[in-house]
Amino acid sequence: MVNAAKVLQDLRASAERKPDVVVRLGKPLVENGAVKKLDADAWLVYEQVAIAALDVGDDALAQRCIQALEQKFPGSARVRRLHGMKLEAEGELIQAGEIYKAILQEDETNILAAKRQVMLLRAMGLPSDAISALVKYLDINYTDFEGWLQLADLYLEQLMYSQAAFCMEEVIMLQPQNHIFHLKYAEILYSQQSIGLALKQFCRVVELCKDHVRGLYGIKLCTSHLLKLSPSKDSTATSQEDLKAIDLLATERLIATYNAASSSTKSVSTKWIENL
Amino acid sequence: MGAWTVLQERQAMLLDPAIRDWVLLPIMLVMVLVGVVRHQVTVLLNGPPRKADLKSARETKGLQRGSILRAHGNHLPEYAFEARKAYLTEAFEKGTYLKDPKAGNKPKGNVMQDPAYVETMMDGMKKNMMNIVPQTVIMGWINFFFSGFVLIKLPFPLTIRFKSMLQRGIETQDMDVSWVSSLSWYFLNLFGLQSVFTLILGSGHAADAMRDMQAMSTMGMGPAAGPQMSPTGQPQDMHKIFLSEKENIELTEHEWGLNNVETRLLVKYGKLPRSILVDQKKAKAAATSVSGPSTSSLSSSSPAAVAAAAAAAGGKKKGRRQA
Repeated sequence: MVNAAKVLQDLRASAERKPDVVVRLGKPLVENGAVKKLDADAWLVYEQVAIAALDVGDDALAQRCIQALEQKFPGSARVRRLHGMKLEAEGELIQAGEIYKAILQEDETNILAAKRQVMLLRAMGLPSDAISALVKYLDINYTDFEGWLQLADLYLEQLMYSQAAFCMEEVIMLQPQNHIFHLKYAEILYSQQSIGLALKQFCRVVELCKDHVRGLYGIKLCTSHLLKLSPSKDSTATSQEDLKAIDLLATERLIATYNAASSSTKSVSTKWIENL
Repeated sequence: MGAWTVLQERQAMLLDPAIRDWVLLPIMLVMVLVGVVRHQVTVLLNGPPRKADLKSARETKGLQRGSILRAHGNHLPEYAFEARKAYLTEAFEKGTYLKDPKAGNKPKGNVMQDPAYVETMMDGMKKNMMNIVPQTVIMGWINFFFSGFVLIKLPFPLTIRFKSMLQRGIETQDMDVSWVSSLSWYFLNLFGLQSVFTLILGSGHAADAMRDMQAMSTMGMGPAAGPQMSPTGQPQDMHKIFLSEKENIELTEHEWGLNNVETRLLVKYGKLPRSILVDQKKAKAAATSVSGPSTSSLSSSSPAAVAAAAAAAGGKKKGRRQA
């Protein structure tokens, strides 16, 4: 039991979303009442298990956790948000929206409710409303890079690439070390036909994360495209020798990486490279 | 060594066990209890946390926007950086992010009429009172009843410098330093009971004397959500802060981090010698020093600093020519 509590605590600290693990560990804790022995941590566990239970669709467990929390903290905004999430899980989107609205009316800075509202709009299939709500939210909570990521996703769904690129730029400024964000930015640039810029971003991905296959494929795509064009006169663009060298490097690394893989995967990747 | 044992023997004082039972332990007990009570009262007094104001949150985050652009702007391509620079300088100039954009340049009225400010002040006062009152009472109690008491002997020798720390309230020159006076015992407890409180009350307790000391030095400093305060406790003119941030942004030069990323990548995989990066850096340094000092190296815009930097750059150029 102590171990389960410790694992749950670690998951809370790292903000990982592993609902299956949380429910597996937390369900017995909640059901046999052992959770009460955790004192102050008990309520955090209840909240964590409730959200995880909603994720895996265990509504009875979620209801039990939320009830326990409601008894302890009647009228708390945090518990009401959980209630809203449960309604969302049950498909009662409008009622859930009313709960969030009420929370925000009491306390306009409630970040959790504001975020839920955006996702609610998205779930309702109102992307443009979701975008405007999220833009409003990000104007205040500028440093929330996950919010920017979400906004980039929303824009991408609407095929608004330059807006999505702007969001990814913000994400990169907030989290410059994460190669995944650079990769996403590079792919958006590639879709926007800024191949030269995209190449540089793909290079950055591989620089940050050695032999990143998706980054290498990206480089390969960009170089094969650029090598077909006449050399660019722009001084910041990649020189022809560099292009060839990078192209060679990417091919080499891809082949080396796939040498370890099964022969069928390998043949697919070699065929792709040859066809490019 | 011989002299040391002699001194030890000469000072083989015997303390009355009653001192231990009626002074030493009670002082400690009282301090622990007062700490616990203080924790509970603080929890009571604090009440629900004050609601943050949406606009002041936006104000702080707006400023962060500027500093993040300055710190990490080099990760962006030039056009993206310039667009943000232009937008932020204009927004900061106009005061778009201010709580009250129209009040931008107006001088602040009496700060005591700002309810948020008064509330933060009151919070700070309450906390300070919670700290000062019980400590003063305990110290007065000890001074009144037990002044000049020797309570305990430390089991290890100490140098003479500790005398003022351990024998406060006893004015003898010859007594060995390892004897501890009542007032010093109080201070040892004040600073040493920290971990005991953590044990009893859990972490994040309010009985912490050291934290209160810090609170005292930054009197009236509210939580981050409160109005921005300068160390003197006066609310700052946010418009001025934004204007100085705007100047900082204007002075920031953009140097794209991906300019030579291809070369760096080739070097990383050993396709090019590492020395090529050093050569590139040198070439770039030469280019910038010939074209004049870069603005980013000038943190102040005073004419004297500009002249000095120009002179330095000139000197560098000469040096290179001679070489």
